[in-house]
Amino acid sequence: MKILQNSDIPIYKQIAGQFKEDIMNGRLAEGDYLPSIRGLARDLKISVITTMKAYEQLTEEGLIAPVQGKGYIVNPQDREMVKEQHLRLLEQHLQNAIESAKLAGIDREELVNMINLLYDIE
Amino acid sequence: MDSILTAKGLTKKYSKFTLGGLDFEIPRGFATALIGANGAGKTTLIDTLCGVIRATSGEVTYFGEDTDIEEAAIREKIGYCASSSFFPQGWTAKDIAMSMELAFDSFNREKFRTLCEQLDVDSDITKKPKPMYKQSDGNRMRLSLAAVFARETDLLILDEPGSSLDPLMRDRLCDRLREYLDDGNGEKSIVFSTHNIADMENAADYAIFMDKGRIIESGFVEDLKDKYIIARGEAADYDKAKHLLMSHSKNRTVFDGLALAENAEELARLGVDSEAPTLQQLSIGLLKYAEETR
Repeated sequence: MKILQNSDIPIYKQIAGQFKEDIMNGRLAEGDYLPSIRGLARDLKISVITTMKAYEQLTEEGLIAPVQGKGYIVNPQDREMVKEQHLRLLEQHLQNAIESAKLAGIDREELVNMINLLYDIE
Repeated sequence: MDSILTAKGLTKKYSKFTLGGLDFEIPRGFATALIGANGAGKTTLIDTLCGVIRATSGEVTYFGEDTDIEEAAIREKIGYCASSSFFPQGWTAKDIAMSMELAFDSFNREKFRTLCEQLDVDSDITKKPKPMYKQSDGNRMRLSLAAVFARETDLLILDEPGSSLDPLMRDRLCDRLREYLDDGNGEKSIVFSTHNIADMENAADYAIFMDKGRIIESGFVEDLKDKYIIARGEAADYDKAKHLLMSHSKNRTVFDGLALAENAEELARLGVDSEAPTLQQLSIGLLKYAEETR
């Protein structure tokens, strides 16, 4: 976990985003506990309320849930939902790629070739 | 709100200044910042809450049940730290340790010694310790903080703890405040006053803004950051936008001001940009608004 204090992205969004990533790629598994709100605030040198807001956002999105007296636990993740979220992200990135390609005067064929090339390198 | 302290109609009258009547709550498990200009009444409020001075009228409930600050059991749970010299001028760290030991059951002399060493000031075993009058404001504050943190408390009330400290020491203070909240696991709370919130922006969870003895706004910092925006525009657009601004600052090139977030779209239609405020920007906007509408 790392946060930037002077970023354009609010700190609570940075925190929520990183936990979301950890949950999506399995680094945080179902049943795992997130660090305590005040403990994380202490480590990240930020206010408690900012950390709390990040956890509230993740709760609203159904990724985690509060457990009385024990903190926040990672919810069982719906595989379809996770895939759906990845798909949305992918679409968004491709959209950006297409936009950049158009700006640079790169046609469809060239773009597809680039993707093929990059896919092979991976 | 689960509050550690509730004030109802709290009033302190002086011949030339009146604090209140104030109604407010301090949330349990968080750090609350009292923000206001010099002379806003922050110290009067803190001293009233801590029983250093008596309220003219009104009532304060501590820890959900007690209302008498004279009671030793309540004082034992509150760690009070004055902004100016609180201990007698002739006292040294040793005198402080002795008096704290007499006054508070939970005062831990070894902890005090360790804290003094960490904060780089005289401790009770320093040879030839300096009396208070020979110490800088910063050193006096460090000693007061060491004395408070060497006790077991549930509520810290600190008057301008950051003001006399250098940047490095202030950073350590913020660390220690977060540590206190963490160790308290949601049960311990902090109130601190400041006229320069930029220094302690990341140590404040809840904010109470004061102007001329009144509370002008209060809330959790993240909620306040959602409620308000800082509007920025070109000077030419000022006249059509100014009715949406709460505070006004304009020169021949640009203008800015505090506005309600709900007006962001309308401002955008007028060609005015907005950004989420930092706590510092929010403070300036709100205090300016109070000054303009006083």
